[in-house]
Amino acid sequence: MAPHTYFQGEGPWSDADQLMLYLDTGSWRSLRPVVDAEACIYCGLCALFCPTQCMINKGEYFLPNLEFCKGCGVCAKECPRGAIIMKPEGECDASKE
Amino acid sequence: MQARSEQDARIMVITGNAAAAYGAMLCRPDVVATYPITPQTEVIEKLFEFAASGELDAEMVPVEGENSAMNVVTAASMAGGRVFTATSSWGLAFMYDAMLAASGTRAPVVMVNVNRETPGIIAVSSGQQDMISTRDSGWIQLVAEDCQEILDQVLMAYRLAEDHDIQVPVMVNYDGFYLSYLAGKVEVPSKKRVSDFLAVLNEQPKRQILLPGQPLGCGTHGILQGFVELRYKHVQAMERAKAAFDAIDQEFASQFGRGYGGQIEEYRTGDADIVLVASGSMCGTIKTVVDRKREQGLPVGLVRLRMYRPFPSEKLTQVLKDRKAVGVVDRSVGFGIQGGPIYSEVCSLSAKFGGASVLSFIDGLANTDVTSDHVEQMLDLLSAAARGEPCPQVTWVCMEE
Ligand code: SF4
Ligand code: SF4
Repeated sequence: MAPHTYFQGEGPWSDADQLMLYLDTGSWRSLRPVVDAEACIYCGLCALFCPTQCMINKGEYFLPNLEFCKGCGVCAKECPRGAIIMKPEGECDASKE
Repeated sequence: MQARSEQDARIMVITGNAAAAYGAMLCRPDVVATYPITPQTEVIEKLFEFAASGELDAEMVPVEGENSAMNVVTAASMAGGRVFTATSSWGLAFMYDAMLAASGTRAPVVMVNVNRETPGIIAVSSGQQDMISTRDSGWIQLVAEDCQEILDQVLMAYRLAEDHDIQVPVMVNYDGFYLSYLAGKVEVPSKKRVSDFLAVLNEQPKRQILLPGQPLGCGTHGILQGFVELRYKHVQAMERAKAAFDAIDQEFASQFGRGYGGQIEEYRTGDADIVLVASGSMCGTIKTVVDRKREQGLPVGLVRLRMYRPFPSEKLTQVLKDRKAVGVVDRSVGFGIQGGPIYSEVCSLSAKFGGASVLSFIDGLANTDVTSDHVEQMLDLLSAAARGEPCPQVTWVCMEE
């Protein structure tokens, strides 16, 4: 019996560039941050405060990476323009983004 | 035994603590982080003396507590350093979570633990309860019998911990007070000979280490199957450590002229009907009594446990096969189990070694001497058991009636 190999050596070393760092923090989200790109002033506070650091810089606004966003609502709370609302997942389009 | 010149080794009369410090110094650690505690303090004093005199070229980190000591050496080990620390009893308890981090991250830390009774009842005195209570920490645990073996086991500990095939931290245990402060004759090998002994480690593949500018996680992402894989690997490495220790011991014998038998030492067990299983400094006394009994024609022997984790199950099964009576001496207690902790593990093998009645002896708690009278008592009980007479399963030999 040999284990499936996630780790190359004996120690639990994981490479930040490899899949090993993938932690599924998005699948159990119940509220989804929805960004109003028009209202966003591109200040970056949401990205700064997001605990999973999943806000993607889109050039003129930010959007959450829903693979990782856990729906905590910190971004909506911090946004100075109220540009983010937290919408129940059940009311969202099942598709990502 | 090969001839040795003065350049090869110095004969000194030093304490067990000094022997531990000499052992560590000779292995040239890069980082030493320590916090003092009775009866280990002299190890640190000695190491700082070595550092002050230039004999030891290491980063000496005088930390504010044992928890930091273990975290410092673990981190330094993960960055590729050879590391050393020393503790005892309360200090060991205070670094428990950090010990788990060391073994979980497979950092090849080497530590001496000077056995002392554990917190709760202030007993600044010897006992193996501290070692026993870190049994499941994932560390390799060795036990020395005398001052010379302390030094020798520290050298062997680096070979074992840093072996690319093992990569598990190693704790070298020796009885506080009895060995820590006992001065005995110790052959201190030269640095050259020690680096020859350790040289094989340099030829092995390099282990993963943390380098500046190359961020890596370590122990941070072991969820679900990743965790299972790491645990499986760790357990397998512990299994490999048994044969590795035997091999290292043999190689040590050929290089330094002192062999101890690897996982266990067998003392006059050949034709013995009655065998005691014990560890640590009490084995010196037991050997004397075994000799005396042999002169009287009583076929008795001793098996000395030199490796407590991994537990030498196969070796013990072999050596205990078809004896008439086996006694296990524990210098600690098993809370809520019948008899001492080592006794209960020997019992778990009894179906395999068959036949013998196995008795538990609790002795030597809190510096109560394991005297030759005590050993005689144990052997008398075992003789009775061998004749098929009913005997108590557990005897607190150290408790006066
Ligand atoms: S809800 Fe939480 S996790 Fe999701 S983007 Fe906002 S701050 Fe980040
Ligand atoms: S905090 Fe609000 S305004 Fe600022 S970048 Fe994020 S969404 Fe836009």
